[in-house]
Amino acid sequence: MPDPLVSICGLAYRYPGATEPALGGIDLQVDPGEFVVLAGRSGSGKSSLLRACCGLIPHYHGGEISGRVEIAGLDARDHGPAELGGAVGLVAQDPESQVISTTVRAELELPLEIRGEAPPARARAVEEAALALAMPHLLDRGVDTLSGGELQRVALAAALVLRPRLILLDEPTSQLDPVAGDELTWLLRRLNEEWGMAVILAEHRLERCLAVADRVVALEAGRLAFSGTPEAFLDWALAHDVALATPGARLFELAGLRPLPRGVKAARATLAGLRVATPEPRPASEHDNGPPVLRARDAWVELDSGTGARDVLRGIDLEVGRGERVALMGRNGAGKSTLMRAAAGLLPTIRGRIEAPSGCALLPQSPADLLLRERVGDELPGVEGTAALERVGLGAKLDADPRDLSGGERQRLALAIVTAGREGPGPAGVVCLDEPTRGMDRARKDELGAWIDELAAHGAVLVATHDVEFAAAFADRVILLGEGTVIADGPPDEILSGGWYFATEVARILDTPGAISPEAGASLIAAGRFRHVARASGEAAVAPAVPATPIALQPTDTGREAEDVGGVIPEDPGGGVP
Amino acid sequence: MRPALAYRHRPGPLGDGSALAASLFCAAPAGAALVSSDPIVLAGALAAVVTAGLLAGARRGLALAARWNLGLGVILIAVNGLTSQRGDTVLVHGIVMPLIGNVDISAEALGEGAVLAARIGIICMAFAVHATTVDPDRVLRLLRPIARRSALTATLIARTVPLAARDYARLGEASALRGPLAAPAGRAVLARRLVAGSLDRAVDVAATLELRGYGHGAPGRADRLRRSRHDTALVGSALALFLASAGARLAGLADFRAYPALRFDAGAWTIAAALAMPLAAAAPFALAALRSRIVGGRSRA
Repeated sequence: MPDPLVSICGLAYRYPGATEPALGGIDLQVDPGEFVVLAGRSGSGKSSLLRACCGLIPHYHGGEISGRVEIAGLDARDHGPAELGGAVGLVAQDPESQVISTTVRAELELPLEIRGEAPPARARAVEEAALALAMPHLLDRGVDTLSGGELQRVALAAALVLRPRLILLDEPTSQLDPVAGDELTWLLRRLNEEWGMAVILAEHRLERCLAVADRVVALEAGRLAFSGTPEAFLDWALAHDVALATPGARLFELAGLRPLPRGVKAARATLAGLRVATPEPRPASEHDNGPPVLRARDAWVELDSGTGARDVLRGIDLEVGRGERVALMGRNGAGKSTLMRAAAGLLPTIRGRIEAPSGCALLPQSPADLLLRERVGDELPGVEGTAALERVGLGAKLDADPRDLSGGERQRLALAIVTAGREGPGPAGVVCLDEPTRGMDRARKDELGAWIDELAAHGAVLVATHDVEFAAAFADRVILLGEGTVIADGPPDEILSGGWYFATEVARILDTPGAISPEAGASLIAAGRFRHVARASGEAAVAPAVPATPIALQPTDTGREAEDVGGVIPEDPGGGVP
Repeated sequence: MRPALAYRHRPGPLGDGSALAASLFCAAPAGAALVSSDPIVLAGALAAVVTAGLLAGARRGLALAARWNLGLGVILIAVNGLTSQRGDTVLVHGIVMPLIGNVDISAEALGEGAVLAARIGIICMAFAVHATTVDPDRVLRLLRPIARRSALTATLIARTVPLAARDYARLGEASALRGPLAAPAGRAVLARRLVAGSLDRAVDVAATLELRGYGHGAPGRADRLRRSRHDTALVGSALALFLASAGARLAGLADFRAYPALRFDAGAWTIAAALAMPLAAAAPFALAALRSRIVGGRSRA
């Protein structure tokens, strides 16, 4: 057995001034070439553990540390981040703060230059890193002209350029659209396989990365709660903390199937030959509640990010009715934020109109930008302000410093700031939330979903999000933008099951139009299984309840039997998928 | 919208030249303005910096620097006019100013202020051309082996200033989103929030620098003097520019005296030196264009 690359024994750590330890009693070993996914709720200690693995803890952050951390044979307590930098690279969540130089090439050259590499060796290493990440075209671009996804790729390349033996990633996909997020995950797997580099990836959206993981390590309140294979982790998560289970695992659990799938491919292998019913088409939900609260008519918006003006919205036509919960989706740069900013009156249209007759409140991507005072009560002064704070559950925290609030509380405070005073005697207008689930665990997303319901009861809610699973959970309508135009608009069942990138994990597993949630998918599996049995015994096909006990399912060759039920049951649920 | 003074790579002698040569070229008109106060030489230095800026594609940076300096220049002229009570040509007599009392405004005092404003303006415009056309990474790379701590500070500033500009734009936008009941976001509140945020940003950037290995030891000097094909022209032009001003001064030409009456040299040699400056500034660009044309002609043939 090779020596472990990471060896942590009895690690405990407390940030300076903190009352509670961020990490406690951590024992962990990571072997060379291993791909480890770090799971856990917000505040469970994932980021702290990553910082301890690269020497930022304790050398940069200070605080109290005990136990032993060895990275590539170097004791992280004696060797700082610069010394460990040859063996370990870190990619953090916010790409803007991780890029130092003006051009991409200079950014990649910097670590090599600092270590005294000769120019030819530097040029080669930069070229190799750029090719590995498919970004040679970015090398001579200024970093201020890059999108968030491109910046994240540059930060990864800068961490890889020294060919470290270990790469640490702290929620690198949180700001990326599903396409860029999937690309990054599979890129990491390729680097892991081809370069033999060990990876520790902290991530909330586990359905994106379990398929590529060798092992999952789960943290709970700064302590190691689980370490094992992805399949074993899913079993553990369903038993201990269902918020950490993937939609695919919940689908299998509800359908009574085993083994739990680490990804779409594993799920399809288990489901091969199993019948899945096709859902009955549902009548489209009607929102005939008077005039629309948001209306765009042939709206064109132009932006200039320094490289010349370009049309970001190109003739958008849409209406949002009162009571609607709309998910606005699309790739980075598709125009989601621009549409919301134009609706809130921050950007003018160069042609056409965007109107919100009853007003539009926008919660920007970074709610902290709205928190300017040092006391919660000072953000919304007066009796009406206090009432607004009470409505969002912050009535007891009027004297708290906004920076001391939890992430969810800060978001609620920011929401109160943008909406307070807008509610008139009549129906309130539209509330736009721009990427509200960034860095959130599922429990907080559920909490957010509950507010969205509440907000939609008074007006309408438009949420720009890359989080397909969240959109499936809260929205009753999904609008997909592409290059500034509406490319799809309809109910979530239809939009989030008809493609690959903008589709939920359940939709990708079942590849059946209309099945996007674990509950719906489990019902279809159960109904398909029942219809097959019913057809075989000549009884009427009535959809059964979801079975309660798990069934160990072996793939069987039942394709011929499936033909008997005349197209209701697909012969191969995995067919037609690229 | 990208800030007017932000660096963007522009192909050409300044964009592609080595950091040292490009910096010398940009410093030459500033040096000329420092050594000479003759209005004709200053006009030549101004023409040189404008020529270089326009040919290098730094029009927005130049325009911004010119706008700032116009305001500053007016203030300098006014202050000098009010505070310097010398000069034979009194334009306005006996203005009663609070605290100062009776003041005269002379043409000489205004002229001296204008010359001072022109010198500062030329230096600022030369730095604007440098900031927008010369890659700061290459300048910092030049500095790092000789002034490590200063280079670290400059690196932090070079990164945190654009981040702060972006943060300020975001904060401004967020303040426009506040509901009617929210406390208003004044400039002071925004500035305080920006400073607090910038400190956090600086800490993050410093952590990244640490991870990139900044604490590892002195960087190598291997390519500190990496050269470019434009360097000879840039350095030659910089020398010619500076010598036109310094030579005229050393030769006793290009003399300027504000008091007791405005007097400056407008002889043929001074005018020739002033005319030579924009020509020297244009030379590297003309040579590069000529070379491209010749190479293009050969490849077509």
